[in-house]
Amino acid sequence: MSADVKAVLTDVKESKKPIFSYPDFRKVFPVLGLVVVIIFFQIYTGGKVFTLKNMKAIINEGFFIMIGSVGYVFLLSQGSMDFSIGANMCVSCTAAALGAAINPLLAIPFGIGTGAIIGACNGFIHVKFKIGAFIATLAMQFILNGFVVILLNGGTLQPPLAMLKWNTMTLKFTTFLVIVILGYIVFEFTTYGKRCRAIGSCEEAARQTGVNYSVMKFLPFVVMGALAGLLGFFSLIRTGTASSHTGEELMMNVLNAALLGGIPISGGATSKYRAVVIGSLTMAFLTNGMTLMGVGTYDKQLIKGIVFLIAIAISFDRKNMTVIK
Amino acid sequence: MGIVMNQQDLLFQADEMYKSFGITKALNNVNLKLYKGQILGLIGENGSGKSTLTSIIAAIQPADSGKMYKTGQPYSPKTTVEANKLGVCMILQEKGTFDQLTVAKNIFIGKEDMFSKNGIINNRKMNQEAQKILDDIKASHIRAEMSLGRLNFEDCKLVELARAMYMNPQILIVDETTTALSRTGRDILYEIMENMKKEKKGVIFISHDIDELLEKCDALTILRDGIYVDTLERKQFDAGEIKRLMVGREVADNYYRTDLKSCKNKEVVFQFKDIQTDSLKDVSFELHKGEILGFGGLADCGMHDIGKVAFGLLKPAEGAATTENGENVKNPAQAMNKKIAYISKNRDQEALMVSSNIKDNICLASYPKLLTGPLVLPASEKKFVDKWATDLEIKMQNSSQYVMELSGGNKQKVALAKWLGFGADIFILDCPTRGIDIGVKSNIYQLMIKLRAEGKSIILISEELPEVIGMSDRTIILKDGKISGEFVREEEITETKLIDYMV
Repeated sequence: MSADVKAVLTDVKESKKPIFSYPDFRKVFPVLGLVVVIIFFQIYTGGKVFTLKNMKAIINEGFFIMIGSVGYVFLLSQGSMDFSIGANMCVSCTAAALGAAINPLLAIPFGIGTGAIIGACNGFIHVKFKIGAFIATLAMQFILNGFVVILLNGGTLQPPLAMLKWNTMTLKFTTFLVIVILGYIVFEFTTYGKRCRAIGSCEEAARQTGVNYSVMKFLPFVVMGALAGLLGFFSLIRTGTASSHTGEELMMNVLNAALLGGIPISGGATSKYRAVVIGSLTMAFLTNGMTLMGVGTYDKQLIKGIVFLIAIAISFDRKNMTVIK
Repeated sequence: MGIVMNQQDLLFQADEMYKSFGITKALNNVNLKLYKGQILGLIGENGSGKSTLTSIIAAIQPADSGKMYKTGQPYSPKTTVEANKLGVCMILQEKGTFDQLTVAKNIFIGKEDMFSKNGIINNRKMNQEAQKILDDIKASHIRAEMSLGRLNFEDCKLVELARAMYMNPQILIVDETTTALSRTGRDILYEIMENMKKEKKGVIFISHDIDELLEKCDALTILRDGIYVDTLERKQFDAGEIKRLMVGREVADNYYRTDLKSCKNKEVVFQFKDIQTDSLKDVSFELHKGEILGFGGLADCGMHDIGKVAFGLLKPAEGAATTENGENVKNPAQAMNKKIAYISKNRDQEALMVSSNIKDNICLASYPKLLTGPLVLPASEKKFVDKWATDLEIKMQNSSQYVMELSGGNKQKVALAKWLGFGADIFILDCPTRGIDIGVKSNIYQLMIKLRAEGKSIILISEELPEVIGMSDRTIILKDGKISGEFVREEEITETKLIDYMV
């Protein structure tokens, strides 16, 4: 073969490489999604997005989504999931209200503790009885939905009015920063975070390298539960009420945030922390933007459902997917 | 050599059959001839292509190339059902029955229509018919209405046999079934084979039991590493010659150890005491410091369980695996505390996280020692990975490359780097050179020699006898889960000699 022919052949081979491949697109998609959402609403609402008042609203919205997502990314990285976080938040909020009736300060441990216990139940059922996280937490969600109605006796609970004063930007912003930064460090730079991803990548290989996978699989459920409990508490001081509707949107928002951030719904080792941050922001802007536009609660749900479907269609790794755990 | 027989007595012929799995050539232009009224034995070592060849004939998988003829007509079924219709039935090595169904439904699977009227199956009629078939093959002790899940493995095999015989095959393929059968079961099978012979039909019979083959077969086709070696007819049968043909590959032994001295250190670092598992029976041995202890045997002799028990992955029913200070190995984490490392035979599923990158794989075992305070910093990870990847000469773009993109040899190097970096003293290597090209194979052998010289101990479990002989200070041969022979390096060990202990 002459050198010319060879050169032509290599050229052909190289030019075959697509300029913009599908995996590349999946990498860019989350940032692109965020930018598109912001620009869209900024134009549509005539510049109302970036006002001081609205920024506060966005932080209020993003607070819940982001903290929920921080807990969720650890589960996802192992290929687990938790469908009961919204219901958990609801029960924990009620528990916090019950605690506050005794002493307002008790609201915090009651909320977080209840959440952690529910999370521990999820983890125990999943690890000990080897029931898929999908089924175990879905069942837990139904149980909690029923349980909270019994707890509230069909009505609602109000904490002492003084507690509403706790709902300050300072407290929320500090909590938010601490959890997001701590989550980042644990996820990226500790043995725990790395082993979570190892389990998500190949459970058997992790086991055969000495990873105690029962404990490793149990813990993220507890952390997730505790965070849901914390959100329950914040919901109580924000809205001043615990009702069976508390936390209704959390599950959808968090799952949507993870997907919009580019984490495949099957989770696994490719789960990225930055995905959680970007996805949560997108969700916060999306929710807020729709509120600015005056979209009703149920219409919002409908739109989020469609967004969910689109995000799944783009991020779903069909080739490496075998079964939802 | 070959058998001079009349061409019109030819029942089945396979020409130039070729099949590869990745870089492995499972069948390399293999020929096979089966005559009417003949029982043809098929023999060869693990991975010689026996099962591949027969499963192609039974249309369980397609060949890459090659032609088959049955009674002179081209034969190319696409599915097993089609093969069955053309008169070819196969009894598999593995279980091929459905536990949840009754015996009768298993026998008539896919043929339920025969007994249905207006969409309703007449179970009584089906049971009667099934019982008749079972009675015919003299397996009346199995009742047609029984649920198959309640039968033992042997009876399940007999049900499969009944199912095959109902189809009235002209060619019956029996793939290593007799090991699962007791004397009675074997007699049933032998009688069926004899009957088929009398009726001028044909049987292809795979077995590892040479005596059984010599007794039952009219001719023997020998395969080795996917290559057709020879076909012997009955009067040429000679156990010694057959074994020689089975293993007679050109052994390029220059990359194994060249010394002939076994390890003289008697310091015991690890031992098995009367270990019992599903596949191991009363296995005891001691591993010495600086020793390579090899385990060989047939694929199902239980040797792979030795590695799993030693690393605490498999709990023995009885007996104990203990380290030098007498502590039992309970789980992998604890085995690692004792500086034991294990690389599974199933590299891609169990030893490596193929969908993670090289860095995460190499570091996984060593996070505790990479800590700076409570954190694993990227800089310390990078330093660690660079050292071991360079040490083992892993061919990669960078350490962020996914392991699944690497070749088999480089994957194995990543697995080895993980444990070398961890600093293990005892290495359990299960088929460490499986599916690996000769270059990397040689690297791995050199590494083993180096580790041995450093006083590390290695348990080498391998299905490749030359490797076990070539590398081990001591070789233990297992047969049906029991130790059947032990040899030190100084003895003149040959493959032929070891095969006597294996089968």
